[in-house]
Amino acid sequence: MSTHWDRREFLKKSSAASMAALAAGAPLAGFLAGCNEAKIKSTADTVILLWMAGGMAHTDTFDPKRYTPFTKGMQANDVLSTFKSVPTALDDIYFSEGLSAIGKVLDKGTVIRSYVAADMGHILHSRHQYHWHTCYKPPQSVLAPHIGSWISNQLGPVNKVIPAFIDIGQRFTLGEGEELKAFHTAGFLGNEFGPFVIPDPSAGLESVKPPIGMNMTRFEKRNQLYNELMSKSPIGEMGSDYQKESMRRSMEQAYMLLKSPEAAAFDLSKEPKESYDIYNTGKFGLGCLMAKRLTEKGARFISVTTEYEPFKNWDTHDNGHTRLADMKKQIDGPIAQLIKDLDQSGHLDRTLIILASEFSRDMMVEGRPDLKVQEQVDQPDIIHELKNYGMHRHFTDGCSMLMFGGGIKKGNVYGKTADERPCKTIEKPIKIDQIHQTIYHALGIPQDTHYLVEKRPFYTTPDGLGKAAMDLFS
Amino acid sequence: MKDLNKNSRPRKKVYIVISSIILFCILQISLNGFAESTAQSANINTFWIWRFIGRLHPLAVHFPVALIVLATFLEFFTLRNFNSSLRPGIKILIGIGAILACTSAIMGLLLSKEGGYEKDLVSIHQWLGIVTACLACITWIVLNSLLKKTNLQLIKVYRLLLLFSGLGIMVAGHFGAALTHGKDYLSSTLPWSQDYDGSTKSNFDLSALKNDTTKLTKQQAIELNIQVRAILAHNCYKCHGAEKIKGDLRLDRRDMIFKGGENGPVIVPGDLTASELYRRIILPSSDKDAMPSKGKKLAEGDIAIIKFWIQKGAPWPDSSEKNIFRVAELAPRNPALPPIVNGLANPIDRWTSQYFIKNNIAWPKLVDDKTFFKRVSLDIIGLLPNPEELEKFTKDTRPNKRALWIKKLLDQQDDYTTHWLSFWNDALRNDYTGTGYITGGRHNITDWLYTSLKSNKPYDQFVKELISPNESSKGFIEGIKWRGVVNASQRTEMQAAQNVAQIFLGLNLKCASCHNSFISDWKLSDAYAFANIFADSSLEINRCDKPTGKYTGTRMLWKELGTIDSAAPRKVRQAQLATMMVQASNGRFYRTLVNRLWAQLMGRGLIEPVDVMDNEPWNQDLLDWMAFHFQENKSDIKELLYLITSSATYQLPSVGFRDANKIIAQQYQFTGMLRKRMTAEQFADAAATTIGPLFSDSMLMYHPAYSKTLSPNHPAFARAALVSNNPFLIALGRPTRETVATSRESQANLLQALELTNGERFNSMIRKGAQTWKLKYVTTDRIIKEIYVRALGREVQLSEYQIAKKLLGDQPTNESIEDLFWAILLLPEFQIIY
Repeated sequence: MSTHWDRREFLKKSSAASMAALAAGAPLAGFLAGCNEAKIKSTADTVILLWMAGGMAHTDTFDPKRYTPFTKGMQANDVLSTFKSVPTALDDIYFSEGLSAIGKVLDKGTVIRSYVAADMGHILHSRHQYHWHTCYKPPQSVLAPHIGSWISNQLGPVNKVIPAFIDIGQRFTLGEGEELKAFHTAGFLGNEFGPFVIPDPSAGLESVKPPIGMNMTRFEKRNQLYNELMSKSPIGEMGSDYQKESMRRSMEQAYMLLKSPEAAAFDLSKEPKESYDIYNTGKFGLGCLMAKRLTEKGARFISVTTEYEPFKNWDTHDNGHTRLADMKKQIDGPIAQLIKDLDQSGHLDRTLIILASEFSRDMMVEGRPDLKVQEQVDQPDIIHELKNYGMHRHFTDGCSMLMFGGGIKKGNVYGKTADERPCKTIEKPIKIDQIHQTIYHALGIPQDTHYLVEKRPFYTTPDGLGKAAMDLFS
Repeated sequence: MKDLNKNSRPRKKVYIVISSIILFCILQISLNGFAESTAQSANINTFWIWRFIGRLHPLAVHFPVALIVLATFLEFFTLRNFNSSLRPGIKILIGIGAILACTSAIMGLLLSKEGGYEKDLVSIHQWLGIVTACLACITWIVLNSLLKKTNLQLIKVYRLLLLFSGLGIMVAGHFGAALTHGKDYLSSTLPWSQDYDGSTKSNFDLSALKNDTTKLTKQQAIELNIQVRAILAHNCYKCHGAEKIKGDLRLDRRDMIFKGGENGPVIVPGDLTASELYRRIILPSSDKDAMPSKGKKLAEGDIAIIKFWIQKGAPWPDSSEKNIFRVAELAPRNPALPPIVNGLANPIDRWTSQYFIKNNIAWPKLVDDKTFFKRVSLDIIGLLPNPEELEKFTKDTRPNKRALWIKKLLDQQDDYTTHWLSFWNDALRNDYTGTGYITGGRHNITDWLYTSLKSNKPYDQFVKELISPNESSKGFIEGIKWRGVVNASQRTEMQAAQNVAQIFLGLNLKCASCHNSFISDWKLSDAYAFANIFADSSLEINRCDKPTGKYTGTRMLWKELGTIDSAAPRKVRQAQLATMMVQASNGRFYRTLVNRLWAQLMGRGLIEPVDVMDNEPWNQDLLDWMAFHFQENKSDIKELLYLITSSATYQLPSVGFRDANKIIAQQYQFTGMLRKRMTAEQFADAAATTIGPLFSDSMLMYHPAYSKTLSPNHPAFARAALVSNNPFLIALGRPTRETVATSRESQANLLQALELTNGERFNSMIRKGAQTWKLKYVTTDRIIKEIYVRALGREVQLSEYQIAKKLLGDQPTNESIEDLFWAILLLPEFQIIY
């Protein structure tokens, strides 16, 4: 198999070429910059995505409705929320029980209650997750990049020894692993912008330290040996080429990262015990801790997930109520702490934190009210067992999200869902391309950012039409 | 009386000034009110004479600017003597300047009503203009009164007034220019500007940039035109295309777009304000005239491109549509071979000789045995030669030994097959794992592929079985089916159409499967007609994922190649297509494959990108000759590989490029094989044959039915092509095979370097290898010598030996051996095929 010159290089070239060709004869590039939003003033440098994989029910989390406690023989259709409501830092705004710590920091951010997920017929989690992360519905004729890859491609790392796109908490060996891989990719942007994957944050350091059993002295010596032997290699006489240059450069980068003091940010054992304990609610909590540490050292895009595994975690096909009580314990403390810590260290101002899920859940409605999809979880009309008490069907018409920092309004509620079933969005519906563009906008990435792939423009949001929701910003 | 009169005159002038200011304001308010009351139709309904006068503004403003600035300038020469001989001249300048400033201001107000300008800028420019015009009038009045009665205080006031008028008119002028040319018109060319493009400096000077009549080169015009058509295709064709022609307007063809719609032309080249299309796309979407009326407003960047395009005269190169895109010949061609030069008889070399003579290139000395053998071994079987074989080869004294050893490599059937399996897996997006399998929406064709490659199935037969498949090869044409609703352009029938066109014909149908293509002449209906071949029932045409209610027949892409029986069942149609594709008269089909194989071996295709066969090859005759004879020669792939690798052309020294962009540059000149980086599979296998396996046998996803010994000279190990994709291979560039991939990345990156620096798989392989080597070779001396011979196929040099010796010492430890292995495997010399 012959290796070709770098495809990314080619892409860059072709997109640059069409523009450069014009620039040579006329000031199109400058001209365009004057007219489009190229000069968006960024309000964030870093993005942390807290990914609630599996479908997080809005009425049992950040948009609680009337609470109906469990009783044997209850009518399923009466149940809107299976938890009590608890107050937040905002007057008359309530979260679901178990999320009061996050509620207490809501004065530092915005709760979005009107996200409307895509309607793609059959519900397949990984497909909706693909759509959420790439803004495109699978399959696509070219490989669509993950939002983290776009950001990495456009802005590069904040601190050059910390990879620009870090993905914490997801393993790809579970069910639907292949589907998850399909969007955890830089696609046509090239591997360079792909995720730096840390499936287990407690072993995060392994990813950025010399190989197991190698101390720093030996690591440095090994690198020195490599450089010396390279300089003596007779091939050097054959002149330089871009492949060799790229190898030399990337090896140097890797070496710098592994021996840099910043690598300690990946080492959670360096965290003071008190703080560590607050975060340590499991893998997700530790992921938040790592996100905090990396942000403080200069990260660009970090995704921390509760991890998607079919029928596990937020993917509640049964026992919704009991499972959610457990999920909330995992996320409430660490997320609140993450926000407080970044606020205290002054990083929150330039860090956009987003909490989201591919869609919501409801006890009765599958998909959206007016468009029933095939296959849905069996839900008895009369509930006799606790395992049937919970939001077990996939609901796409009203989902909750949180945004903190990075120029987002503080103490704000965006959008609204109906108070009775179907609890769908009734005010300010917001869709994925708006969410993406809002994130890009915060980072100063203009709406018409695109690549020419096979001569076709491929935009960050489909056809470049995603509009930032400006009223989310303060 | 006289005195009184004298005094009353200036007063009269003051009245005139005050009343004219009031007049301005009234005019301004009334115009605003008018505009609002008649909404946007004002532009069209405004009496033509007002519009005409308004448009004289950009012309007229230059007079007051020049006059008043000149007056201000001259004033400096009168500082010492107010009554200088310049005075009468200055008076005239200010007088006429003031009158013209007022006239221009009125014209400007009329023009601003036409809209199309940035609002904030307009209002700044407008008020600055009015204020300056007033200042100029007042200056003139003060000057007049001064000339009647000198007053030192008043002179100061007058000079201040004049200075402000001069400055005011320049600033107002600047904003006016910003309105016409864009805010960054000047500043973008400054070296410290973000938009500054250094490259423009060399072939373009600033004065030319200022000149609005600057012509685009043809290439630039084509690029710009394509950009514009891309925007129109995505936003406008739905209603203004071949199928729906709203308002009698079609925007998908050159003649139609300039003809305009029911209300006349929509684009006036070079005149933005007269171009109705531009006016409509910039309207707020709430406006009833706004376009697109149904879709979302165009992105700012898109609007800017259209604006620029119109300003540049709306270039649409070549009167004929067809000429925009190069279209390659479909038919085969058999050019007569050029004469043999210097005894180089291989047909490829005869073409190369001709090419070299034409381009004044001397035949370089061919590469030495070791370089050649490593190169050809990696190219044909994907494995590094082991030292024993390499030695046998170099010691072979037969004059045609290179040809003989190529044959030998081609005969190592399983090695050959395993290597080429990766190439075809990428192209046919066949993999052991991936999306779709989870719900039975995808089928693996590995067994068919392996058997076909191993038996060197003729290429025509090979493709026939993919297009008109049996149970074991159906996975390709059936595609990947995701559960749920998918975009119409991605249904499996369309996937089949796109993939067949891309892989076998080097033709991009992806655009045309959504709307009429703007990078070629292919139409939406062509794509659907082709996709219908793979459909159980005729597909409804969807444009940009919206059903149109229309259907098209079933057609092959080129009618010259034959017709498909629409009424026949799918199987029959696919069989018809299969026969049609591989017929000898489909020259493009054979050129596409020849070009792909050439690219695999030579690092760059005769045509690039290899998926765009309409592009121009650097040697048309060579491509045509090879394709013609490949087809004549029973489409024998191994024969073709033999022909190429046994040529002197293949054995030229490799060429390295510092800048990857140069490789695809139009002026690319062939002087030899391009240096290639090992693929993920080649690297993993090379590391395995040198030190030890990276993958255990239990990871094998496909067990070819052959003995576990791959070749007599290589110990058995699980080759990377046969294991499922994993983080190590992904990092090194093995694609996910969700979409067709026909080339690999050749540049290294950080994630890859991290995988190699501290990745567990790579380092544990090295650890195990070091243990084995220590037992086997024992001494420092042997270990160093062996690793150089095994990994790099050469003796260690003294300088290298000393460095390694320093590390290993007399008693090598496992750790030091590991470190030596690591350093050697990561050398570019190891990873690049020279």
